[in-house]
Amino acid sequence: MSAEAVTFYNSLLAILTLIALVAAIGLVAYRAVRGPEAVDAISPKALWLAWVVALTATLGSLIYSEVIHFLPCRLCWFQRIAMYPMTVILLVGAIRKDMAAKIYALPFAVGGLLISVWHYLTQLFPSLEGGACDPNNPCSAKYVDVFGFISIPFMAGSAFTLIAVLLMFYVKASSNE
Amino acid sequence: MNKTVLWIIGGVVGLGVVVWMASSIANEPERDASIGFGEVTVEGTSLPVLGDPSAADPTLGFQAPTVSGADWNGNPVSIEADGRPKIVIFLAHWCPHCQAEVPEVQQWLDEGGLPDDVDMYSITVLTDKLRPNWPPQDWLEDESWSVPVIMDDEQRSAVFAYGMAGTPFYVVLDGENRNLGRFSGQVGINGLELMVQLAQRSIGG
Repeated sequence: MSAEAVTFYNSLLAILTLIALVAAIGLVAYRAVRGPEAVDAISPKALWLAWVVALTATLGSLIYSEVIHFLPCRLCWFQRIAMYPMTVILLVGAIRKDMAAKIYALPFAVGGLLISVWHYLTQLFPSLEGGACDPNNPCSAKYVDVFGFISIPFMAGSAFTLIAVLLMFYVKASSNE
Repeated sequence: MNKTVLWIIGGVVGLGVVVWMASSIANEPERDASIGFGEVTVEGTSLPVLGDPSAADPTLGFQAPTVSGADWNGNPVSIEADGRPKIVIFLAHWCPHCQAEVPEVQQWLDEGGLPDDVDMYSITVLTDKLRPNWPPQDWLEDESWSVPVIMDDEQRSAVFAYGMAGTPFYVVLDGENRNLGRFSGQVGINGLELMVQLAQRSIGG
């Protein structure tokens, strides 16, 4: 893949990341303003939407490693471990309308978010990871840097956040039923 | 028109807008991927990769190879047994530790930190167009880098010649190109001054 195509791909994911963040904030605000009405509106689609986010993030990361050939760092792998199972859990849960899916998926989303935050902090403050860069794939190096603040862990963290918010809507809906 | 069709139309239109926005952002002029690399020749036996940085370097006193190349303007640079002790610093343009170290080192040089009886060289390594802050010459020129530079080749010849373990990476050599010490990671001004002392000790300074 040419460098120009990679730049385009980075930009594409950066825009999707911003959309995910705005959506997450918007959902929380919507819930705060409209209360149960917001939950009722989102809940039926929450698992499907969360699955779309997890699938997009999973495919996005696979394209980075398998097509563009960015080598995932240690913390990237931990985030993958959190994100990839959700594509299965959420899909099966959405098809079966299984409320238990949120209980299985939420720890992955929250855990993944925490790892993303730590990874992002190591990029902002490389000394957190030590004093040297691994020649192959240091966690503190930014493969992607769009708008000066969107890197791969920022993208992952945004996806985890939106999934967690959507799942919390699903929790609220189930408790109201 | 039912809701599903509306969702599909909305999704397609939304994706189109996102793709258009991404292509607008990504519209950068193309540059040749090879411009961050140079041609490097290595004569002599390479040092093995530095293992545990906290342990003593088992190759202390070993003869390091002569490494020759050029900077981005074609100025030839050779790290050889020329009778003068030297400090060699390896830098990767995408490495945040290198990005933090370079301005500190340059300020130290500007303030006369490097004595006249010790030389300093730098080697740009692990260049990758797909990683940030590329190409290395733009970065080093922005930092007003005054140290002679060899641009490593795509085969990482200089990396293997000195057994680089991480970046930034320092090698201290005596006048006969013998290894006096190799250090991986940011060292700061204090570390540089210790390396200078190490180099000067080899000439009885």
